[in-house]
Amino acid sequence: MRRSDLGEFEEVVLLAVAALTPKAYSVAIAEDLEKATGNTITTGAVHAALQRLEDKGLVNSYMGEATAERGGRRKRLFSVTPAGSRVLHQVRTIRENLWSRILPHALPKVDLAR
Amino acid sequence: MTNQRPAPPPKWLDQLVEWLCADHLYEEVQGDLHERYYIRVQQLGGQKARSLYYKEVLAYLRPSIIKRNSIDNSPSFLQPDMLKHLFTIAYRNLLKRKSYAAINIIGLAVGITCCLLIAFYVQHELSYDGYHTNADRIYRVIHAFRNSQNGETLPPPTPEEYQVWGNAPVGPALAADFPEIEKVVQFTSHNSLLLQNGEKRFQEENLLFMDSTAFQVFSWKLLAGNPNTALVAPNSIVLTESTAKKYFGDTNPLGQTLRVENQVVFTVTGVMEDVPSNSHFTFNALISMTTFRQWRAEIFDWWGYVDFYTYLLVKPQTDIASLQAKVPAFLKRHNDNKGYTISFERLSDAYLHSVAGRQPGVTGNLSNVYIFSLIALFILVIACINFMNLSTARSMERAKEVGVRKVVGAQRSGLIKQFLAESLLLSVLATLFSWVLAKLALPFVEELSGKSFSSEILFTWEVLVLLLAGALIVGVLAGSYPAWVLSQFRPTQVLKGAFHSSNKGIALRKALVVFQFSLSMALIAGTGIVFSQLKHLRSHDLGFHKEQMLIINFGNDQGVQQKIDVIKNELLNHPSVISVSASRAVPGDFIPNAHTEIQSAEGAMLQNGPLLYEIDYDFIPTFGIEMAAGRPYSREFPADTAKSLILNEAAAKLYGYANPEEIIGKRFSQWGREGTVIGVVKDFNFRSLHQRVEPLALRFAPKSEGALGRLALRIKADNIHSTITALEKQWNQLSPQRPFLYSLMDESFNKQYQADLHFGRLFSVFSGLAILIACLGLFGLASFTAQQRTKEIGIRKVLGASGFSIVTLLSKDFIKLIGFAVLIATPVSWYVMNQWLDDFAYRITINPGIFAVAGLLAILIALLTVSWQAFKASRVNPVTSLKNE
Repeated sequence: MRRSDLGEFEEVVLLAVAALTPKAYSVAIAEDLEKATGNTITTGAVHAALQRLEDKGLVNSYMGEATAERGGRRKRLFSVTPAGSRVLHQVRTIRENLWSRILPHALPKVDLAR
Repeated sequence: MTNQRPAPPPKWLDQLVEWLCADHLYEEVQGDLHERYYIRVQQLGGQKARSLYYKEVLAYLRPSIIKRNSIDNSPSFLQPDMLKHLFTIAYRNLLKRKSYAAINIIGLAVGITCCLLIAFYVQHELSYDGYHTNADRIYRVIHAFRNSQNGETLPPPTPEEYQVWGNAPVGPALAADFPEIEKVVQFTSHNSLLLQNGEKRFQEENLLFMDSTAFQVFSWKLLAGNPNTALVAPNSIVLTESTAKKYFGDTNPLGQTLRVENQVVFTVTGVMEDVPSNSHFTFNALISMTTFRQWRAEIFDWWGYVDFYTYLLVKPQTDIASLQAKVPAFLKRHNDNKGYTISFERLSDAYLHSVAGRQPGVTGNLSNVYIFSLIALFILVIACINFMNLSTARSMERAKEVGVRKVVGAQRSGLIKQFLAESLLLSVLATLFSWVLAKLALPFVEELSGKSFSSEILFTWEVLVLLLAGALIVGVLAGSYPAWVLSQFRPTQVLKGAFHSSNKGIALRKALVVFQFSLSMALIAGTGIVFSQLKHLRSHDLGFHKEQMLIINFGNDQGVQQKIDVIKNELLNHPSVISVSASRAVPGDFIPNAHTEIQSAEGAMLQNGPLLYEIDYDFIPTFGIEMAAGRPYSREFPADTAKSLILNEAAAKLYGYANPEEIIGKRFSQWGREGTVIGVVKDFNFRSLHQRVEPLALRFAPKSEGALGRLALRIKADNIHSTITALEKQWNQLSPQRPFLYSLMDESFNKQYQADLHFGRLFSVFSGLAILIACLGLFGLASFTAQQRTKEIGIRKVLGASGFSIVTLLSKDFIKLIGFAVLIATPVSWYVMNQWLDDFAYRITINPGIFAVAGLLAILIALLTVSWQAFKASRVNPVTSLKNE
């Protein structure tokens, strides 16, 4: 079903939600991903991905308390739903399965530090 | 790092976000943006943070954020379920109030039908001569023949001074001098000849002598024959389809012959389709111009002899103004007469816009086109107003529905759409109905207007598209106000029951009723004025006997003319015949102008071209024309046959004699005859009363000149039919070669007012319909008001009010409105109808009584409409009306 398809960015965002829960909201996710990838990640992109994930039923959201750093504005906090959890696990299983089948010299050597 | 609070992000970007972002997302979006910005300011510095902020804002420009109405997650309006629901509601509402629905639909349908039919009429009037492929390149020459004394140069002629009828040589001269003229076609005025094919013998009217270039200039379709050669040879005739049928039945007429006036033989060289009804001149057959040239070769060179119409086909891109500029030099080369000048008129102006005299056919009337367009608009407006009025009046009934809908979450836009859809449904129904009505009424309108429309006119895609567009426009226009009013009700008020229709709504409804009835009253008054003018035309003393005059038309039959005295005497022997006269034409007929010189008071010979009757001794007494001075032609004066002339008062004035006595005995010279003026007749209206009496000369026509064509018999009023039968028998013995062709003067003379009569009839029918529609509306409104006040009436009755007082109570409001409408309508219709009357030379002055009558009539109609409802309301038993609360 098309609805459960998970895009690459969506997958990363979903993982970030899982990692940041209970304080997962768009700015924190964007900051986190930006640090992790080194690319500029806009909150707009994250916001849109979160909306899509919510539409697909993979995350839940609720409005948090007002905080001072946002000028008294509330933020929307996200958490992964069971469906989201299942998708993440499926994806992980598929990936690990594939990694485990890679022969030792099948991949060219790369320097990960660079 | 400083403790100082960093600069906030650019304000305009914040505003952009506020403006673009959906309301329910705005808080978090703005919060995210700002939080991130301040984080970046701390990490990367103000500059970098600011430039990244643009990127951040841009990243939010996506549909999921901008989408505004995500609160409205109700299903779309155009969903089958929703449509079905709306349709059901609309249908139930129609059924619940059948009479309202009927009034609405019938009113609108009649309105649309009227509009459609008037549109056909107007379109027909505007379509004249448009069927010629080269219509935009065809012009006609109009001539001004004026009197230039001592060769002085005259000011340019006024448009009214031009006439279309002109001389022959101007055509070939124009063709020779101006390369920009591609083709010239000339034709004569209508002739009447006796045509015969074996047994079939008719005095054929409406024959034109026509140049051979006719089919290259005009786009008439030749069904048989060669368009380039059909009119070349002398004695060729091209018949229209129906004329051909008349003489040759179903046999092929091409190459057959017709005997003409028992003398010559014409060969049929072509058959053309009947001249379309939207042509500014028509004919039954065309005879080659070369035929006429054989008969009267000399007039083709005379610049002063008037009997031709000249039409030009100019080359593409010819500037007619530059052609016009070359006219003075052209005239100087050919005919150096300062009194004569020509101008050019577009073919497309010939029917509705030409004011020139002596037209080749009946012209239209632009103001009639305007008046009818206006009436069509009025009717449609009245019908739309009905619709709006009834719908808003009923708004109270539906207020609860609106309230409930709003409470369960309907949005205003949805309600507006619902009511618009309902009015569209009604207007589409009405339009379908009106199409059927138009189909039924079309023959009737054709008869009323004297125009013929093509029978497929209702099936052309233009009409269908127009109707559909009309249905949409009317539906939206008429539905928008009720939709707007109904949708703005506040559910709390409506459902609480404390709802009253607003004063604004009542005032508007009143204004609409006033407007409607102003129009109706103006139309009533207009009808009255049109008909009293027409009556005035018919009863106006024309200055000659029009009744009991039998006219026998014998063409120019030489046999009859030779025996004219014998025939006159024989006819006089019939006991019912009072007197008989012979002449070339009788009042109402087409007559020529004659170049006439008459001695002025100072002794010089003045030149003018008065109209001309050629008459015998008995013409003046038979028609009962009175003398203003001098004496009529008399057998006692032998010189009268060749040396005398009689004028009318207008002609005497034209030559400078205000007192007709003074022109008696002055010298004249006319068409090769010289002598003295012996008499002046009082002005009589020999033409339509649209025109003043024009200068006229009455010339004696001896039978030797062969100019006679009509016998006028004054007969006794009783047993006209048996008299005619007896006279016919007698005629057939006296001149068997000539059919007995008679008409009654008053009938043929009144034909001149056919167009006016058609106008009057159309006007009254459409006015009647307009009033009917307005009444329908008033009826609906009155019944609604009565219903609204059911309880009030019940209580009044309980307290002892009489039926009469209740009727008065309910009618009073409406009557006040109608009275107001009368006040508005009177000056407006007075002004408009005065304009219309200005078109007549002999017009009534508008009698203020007409407005009083029209006003009373309007009030009476309204009273009847309203009081029936009021009466019904007053009869209701208070027990019934008060029991349910």
